[in-house]
Amino acid sequence: MTKRLVVILGLFVTAVALLAASAAQAGHRSVKVTNVTFAGWSSGPDEDALDTQMANAFNRTVGAKEGVHVTWQVINGDYGQAMTARFAAHNAPDVFYVDSSVIGSWIKQGVIQPLNGYVTKSHFDTKAFYPKLLGAFEKGKTIYGFPKDWSPLATETNNALLAQAGVKAPRTWAQLKSDAQAIQQKTSAKHPICLSADWARMGAFMYQNGGSITNNLTSSANAQAVNFYVGLIKSGLAYTPPAGSWCGQELGQGHAAIIFEGNWLLPYMKSTYPNTHYGVAPMVHNKKQGNLAFTVSWSIAKNDKNKAAAWKVLSWLVGKQGEKIWMSKGLALSPRKDVPSIGGRKPFLAAAPYAHGWGFGNPNFASAYTVMGNDLNAVIAGSKTTQQMLADVGKALKGK
Amino acid sequence: MVTPTATRAAQSRFNTSLRGARAREAGWGFGFAFVPLAVLGLFFIYPLGYAVYISFFHWGILGKTAPGTGTFNYAKVFHDPIFGTALKNIAEYTFAVVPLEMTLGLSLALVINQKIRGRNFFRSAFYFPSIASSVAITTIILYIFSQNGLFNHLFGFSTDWFGNASTIGWGIVSMNAWTTSGTVMLFYLAALQAIPDDVYEAAALDNTSAWRTFWKITFPLLRPAHFFCLVVFGIGALKLFDQPFLIAKGASGAPNYSTMYPSFTIYNAAFGSYDFGLAAAAGVIYFVLIFGLTVVQRLTVGRQEAA
Repeated sequence: MTKRLVVILGLFVTAVALLAASAAQAGHRSVKVTNVTFAGWSSGPDEDALDTQMANAFNRTVGAKEGVHVTWQVINGDYGQAMTARFAAHNAPDVFYVDSSVIGSWIKQGVIQPLNGYVTKSHFDTKAFYPKLLGAFEKGKTIYGFPKDWSPLATETNNALLAQAGVKAPRTWAQLKSDAQAIQQKTSAKHPICLSADWARMGAFMYQNGGSITNNLTSSANAQAVNFYVGLIKSGLAYTPPAGSWCGQELGQGHAAIIFEGNWLLPYMKSTYPNTHYGVAPMVHNKKQGNLAFTVSWSIAKNDKNKAAAWKVLSWLVGKQGEKIWMSKGLALSPRKDVPSIGGRKPFLAAAPYAHGWGFGNPNFASAYTVMGNDLNAVIAGSKTTQQMLADVGKALKGK
Repeated sequence: MVTPTATRAAQSRFNTSLRGARAREAGWGFGFAFVPLAVLGLFFIYPLGYAVYISFFHWGILGKTAPGTGTFNYAKVFHDPIFGTALKNIAEYTFAVVPLEMTLGLSLALVINQKIRGRNFFRSAFYFPSIASSVAITTIILYIFSQNGLFNHLFGFSTDWFGNASTIGWGIVSMNAWTTSGTVMLFYLAALQAIPDDVYEAAALDNTSAWRTFWKITFPLLRPAHFFCLVVFGIGALKLFDQPFLIAKGASGAPNYSTMYPSFTIYNAAFGSYDFGLAAAAGVIYFVLIFGLTVVQRLTVGRQEAA
């Protein structure tokens, strides 16, 4: 009798265990996993590895809980061209990088998803972001992306040349000029400042003089700034980097004593010119502080089929957790006030309140930028006046 | 004895069988031609037609961006001073580079057509730039001709050859003439070897000088090769894109529009402004220009060649 009872009990326990296992498996199958792709360009193996690390961290945490599996995809080659083709074919990645210089055009083309609805629904805290950086991806009050990182310009100096001339890193335009004159007289650097023939550098000087690229471009403040910038080159205190080079390379090789570049210079100098000792100071100023913010957002395509899941990924990427991982290697600066950037970035971070997002949300910016570069070359060469250039660029920004 | 009826029947059977064979042969022919024709239609003819179609609309990434049909994109291209500059630049480039490529290519072909020691080495060496990657060559050339580069160091110059608006165009002409000369050399070499020996023997009997032989025999007999090179390399020059794109770090045409070419204006309209209607209109105008030039070449040099 006892033996029979044991057998019956054994069979009962086995049946219950099998049923429980089967139910658990069925339950597991019922959790629908949404696959989301997040994509961008890769500036090098470090960034690629960091994006993969972000994907793994998301999949282990929020992804596992919310049923979202994310995969990182590098888009090689011409990013804008590749994304254009994918937008047109309605197969853009779910979440992707957007440079602030193209966001205006992409919004106009109707390929970027407004995010305000998701922000409100998920109570996402937008106040954690520096307003100017978030503003680079807004049109009116509509948010089209959240900045993943950024960098403004700073003043970088060659320590040896400055010490030789007995000057410190310049803080104002007047100091910039006097320092350059001292370096020119006392060192081998005959053209101490390296200035790119590029509005992406000169624009900062326009804001420093109280001017603006978006309002009243032909103002006297802008004209004075251009004349100061070009004047440094024409007077021989500055030079433009030769073809195939850039000011970072000129600093590294010891040709330039003072340059104006962003945070991207730091990893470059470490890997390419580890023996060049240089300093980083805040960007020079004149009537006021002025700078440009080079920033990239995470955005979602308007035709995306997984928008809800894509928002979960995007909000995590630019959230506190995601940004902490993203900042861990110091490739760029944090767009969030509550996530610190790695050490030694204070001269850059100081610009957060007054740095203007490069591109200014203007839908005609790409064609205007072509005019900017060519006309600035013409002004430097003396074949065009400052006022002609400002008028040309103003027209181009208006799409004329 | 074979009756006339039997002959007619045999003839009829033969004709039927011939028609069948012809039909089968035609079927096979069309079958084989179908795949390349389909590829040509799908990837060349259809996009070409579609480009002409969208050139009459405001066309963005996702299709029509504004109502309206017309020739406004064509008017915009014709009134665009940058497109005018681009046409001027490409005309200057083509008129400089094609004769230079042909002169260099012909000179190299004449050298390696001689029975000289190490001929195979020279053939390979002269042809090498044509098969090397244009990206690699451009990058190396940029280093050599940079302000602090080897060329200036050796010859005592201080010019930034590829950073100066007055020299960059000539820099691109020289670089491309050199890289393309190997391919031109091959075509001329083939043409040189097709000239019969007896013509030269006759000239030798008349004690004709080498210089006169070249100008009176070789050069005129190379006319088909001249025409071929003029058309092929002329069209190639008009499509210039990759080297200036690398040198100017994009399609900006910098410095001071000196490297702005029509391919850049089309690229900028499409992938800078996302105005595909405008880009298509510029493309169509440029296509018509190239096509027109080719017809003119055919009617001038080509007619002489046929004669």
